[in-house]
Amino acid sequence: MNSIKTKSSSAALLLLLLGASGGAGAVPFTQCPGDDFIKLADGTLVPGNDAVPDQYLPNPISNLPDPTLPNPKFRPEVKCMHLSAGDGFVNMADGYPQYMFGFSDLSGTDTTKAMVNGLLGAEFPAPTIVLEQGQQFYLDLTNVGMANRPDLSDPHTVHFHGFPQAMDTFDGVPDNSVSITMGSSLPYFYNVVEPGTYMYHCHVEATEHMQMGMLGNLYVHAAQDKSVAGAPVCAGSTYNHVAGQRYAYNDCDGTTRYDVEVPLQLASFDSRFHDASMNVQPLPFAAMKDNYPMINGRGYPDTVNTGILPAPVDADGLLTNAHAERPLGKPSQKINALVTASVGQRVLLRLSNLSVTNHYTVRVLGLPMQVIGRGAREARGPSGTNLYYQTSHVSMAPGEGVDVIVDTAGKTPGTYYLYTTNLNFLSNNTEDFGGMMTEIVLNP
Amino acid sequence: MKSLFARAALATTTAVMLFAGVAINAEARIAGTSGTVVGTTQTFNLVTSADYITTPDGGTVTIWGYGEVGKPMQYPGPTLKVRAGYTVVINLTNGLPNLPGTSAPMPVSMIFPGQTGVAATGGSAGVLTQESSGPANVVTYTFVAGQPGTYMYNSGTRPGLQVEMGLVGALIVYPATENPNAPTKAYDLADSAFDQEYMFLMTEMDPKIHQLVEFGLINQVNNTVSHATLWFLNGRNGPDTMFPDFAPWLNHQPYSALPRMHPGEKLLMRVIGGGREQHPFHTHGNNYTVIARDGRPLKSSASTTIDLGYSDYTLDSTPGTTQDAIFTWTGVNLGWDMFGHVPGDGSSCTPDAEGLHSVATDANYKEPCADHTKPLPVVMPENASLAFGGFWRGSPFIGSLGSLPPGEGGLNLNGGVVFIWHSHTEKELANNDLYPGGILTMLIIEPHGVLIP
Ligand SMILES: [Cu+2]
Repeated sequence: MNSIKTKSSSAALLLLLLGASGGAGAVPFTQCPGDDFIKLADGTLVPGNDAVPDQYLPNPISNLPDPTLPNPKFRPEVKCMHLSAGDGFVNMADGYPQYMFGFSDLSGTDTTKAMVNGLLGAEFPAPTIVLEQGQQFYLDLTNVGMANRPDLSDPHTVHFHGFPQAMDTFDGVPDNSVSITMGSSLPYFYNVVEPGTYMYHCHVEATEHMQMGMLGNLYVHAAQDKSVAGAPVCAGSTYNHVAGQRYAYNDCDGTTRYDVEVPLQLASFDSRFHDASMNVQPLPFAAMKDNYPMINGRGYPDTVNTGILPAPVDADGLLTNAHAERPLGKPSQKINALVTASVGQRVLLRLSNLSVTNHYTVRVLGLPMQVIGRGAREARGPSGTNLYYQTSHVSMAPGEGVDVIVDTAGKTPGTYYLYTTNLNFLSNNTEDFGGMMTEIVLNP
Repeated sequence: MKSLFARAALATTTAVMLFAGVAINAEARIAGTSGTVVGTTQTFNLVTSADYITTPDGGTVTIWGYGEVGKPMQYPGPTLKVRAGYTVVINLTNGLPNLPGTSAPMPVSMIFPGQTGVAATGGSAGVLTQESSGPANVVTYTFVAGQPGTYMYNSGTRPGLQVEMGLVGALIVYPATENPNAPTKAYDLADSAFDQEYMFLMTEMDPKIHQLVEFGLINQVNNTVSHATLWFLNGRNGPDTMFPDFAPWLNHQPYSALPRMHPGEKLLMRVIGGGREQHPFHTHGNNYTVIARDGRPLKSSASTTIDLGYSDYTLDSTPGTTQDAIFTWTGVNLGWDMFGHVPGDGSSCTPDAEGLHSVATDANYKEPCADHTKPLPVVMPENASLAFGGFWRGSPFIGSLGSLPPGEGGLNLNGGVVFIWHSHTEKELANNDLYPGGILTMLIIEPHGVLIP
């Protein structure tokens, strides 16, 4: 990285930045109730929108949020998020800069600058969405276009995978709803009433956009977390809430309680498909065969690197995610897959598989796994029969989500491994050790 | 790029199909055959033959299929609908072409996983069962249909090749008290009751194997290197899955896979892994509850209810197994009125015990009353910013058709709520290199008042 040069400098990119090739609604907007101001770095508020509800109006003199001036439009149950959809690059664990499509989180930034802020911003995995049961979730999606594919004018969507009692209007499937064109924004609304482990992804040209990386973690915390300490967690229960205790589901008996939660999303890339996309070649659907297995967007050992991976650099030393307005590029892999706990803690693993090609089985070597939920439901029969089970592995088809509790009580401190038992996927392309593996570090 | 059903011709045909579906098949949810019923014996006369199926990417594939004698061979084979306790008699003959350089076809047979006491007589001895070695060589399989449930049948002769070639079908055993042409429950259990019933039989094909067979090069088939590039729901690739039963232009692929229901109804999914690969079937719209596996309800022995059923959003279908699940949808807790009612518009919502509107003659029957007249929380963007799906109503609200630009929409004639149901191994949403296709269909939740046959 000797000089700051940008990989993408095409005329199309300039057009994108200028908004000239966008749809009719060239200025993206978001629909976040109670969002009337942009919060600047110094904490002051200026009129505008940043997809963050403003609880307080600005003090007329300091422009800082003033607790004596509550915003009448503010509702505590409102949760907003502003995502961009576009393209970019990520680092494979063997150093290969991989072209991809993806989302980035624009929440907290001026929504009128969404095109510049989102361009070449694709992250893998997509920004994690964490919701609380009882929230009303307003999600806005801005399509910033594909800087490296000026020939493409693909729309995008967000599909909230597993959302119960959904409406097609907000299901994000282009064939039976609407999708958003370049330069415009589409609102989604979800009344969040069921806790559990979900996932999200783009559903436009699903095989292509999902193989290209438009995948992310999404989960909902249970209302039972807000139980009163010392009181039963639900009516008729004999299990009393302990302050700070959290639960995967509204179990009424504390059996899904956990101390540490980690979402682990399995996915895999076929670099030949990504390269064909980058080079505007015919896409090899029938020949698709993934060669980069990952957890949370990284192959081992990147999975256990707790840092944000640096902005990808291509073989010519060029920053792949840089553009004229963002010359330093942008990191695109912000989360990792390391699990850290202390002996005695219960770890909730929110497992999901969003590979478009493969079933995967994962094992935790040396620690017990208990499956307590699947499909964003506690593992109970229709009349409440407990269906939990102990195991040493979990198999997941693409599109399946499974909740696992790892109880570390009485276990020896040390490093334990979570890895796929589909052993050929313990690789980063031709590096034959890595891939779909991470570590559980158990501290004393 | 391409959007599903963008082609006008296909759009027109699909729209026609939605009407056609009302007229055809008015008495039975799952198309199939009960054979000849005499007393408590159901007799089926089947013959295997070779022919072509068509794929939506414009190709054809040579297959071997079962068919009823006197009717086209088909993929999958005829769905055999029988009653528990009845004696099932299947006479099978072999109409496949002779193997190259010989005067006889490869023998064929049928096996019935999950049935016991199957007697096979006639024909010639094979490894798993008696086989038919030619048109005059009749093999007869006889069994008493056991417990109710969803089962399959397939060839027991070189099944690695012959099931790939198409010799697979469904066997549905209805409770003795149920009429297979107007069933109301899957098992002798109250919580297996349903309003709508659909089959989802998933298979796949490697066209190269079929070419070798077509060219008489069966000896060159190597199943260990097979690589499927076509994926099927009820013998069709998406979007053909959404055409009606017995669409005349799909002569050898008679079975639709387009589920329809009304809000609040229970839809029974009979999911069958008919091929050689796993297929995770994802139901958009809501979770389903799995109620049975391999024709056995998920219940503990002492229970009179399906107490071991479970809810999920992706149903992984494994080769050779079946699963039954019940799906329902009301749109409860959306947080807004799905009909777009506004105060003072004369609409009403009178909740039943479940909080759903109770007046069956009203258009908003089963509306979740808690959200009645609550406004849509967001403003939908102007049309110029949007791309539209063929099944889009043009409106956020059920039963309400909005205005769409010319050439958009058009496949959702009643303003139903539509969800895609598909394999979540998304590479299976293509026909060879062409997206979309494969294991993909739509669920249409029609407003109450719209007739579903
Ligand atoms: Cu997309």
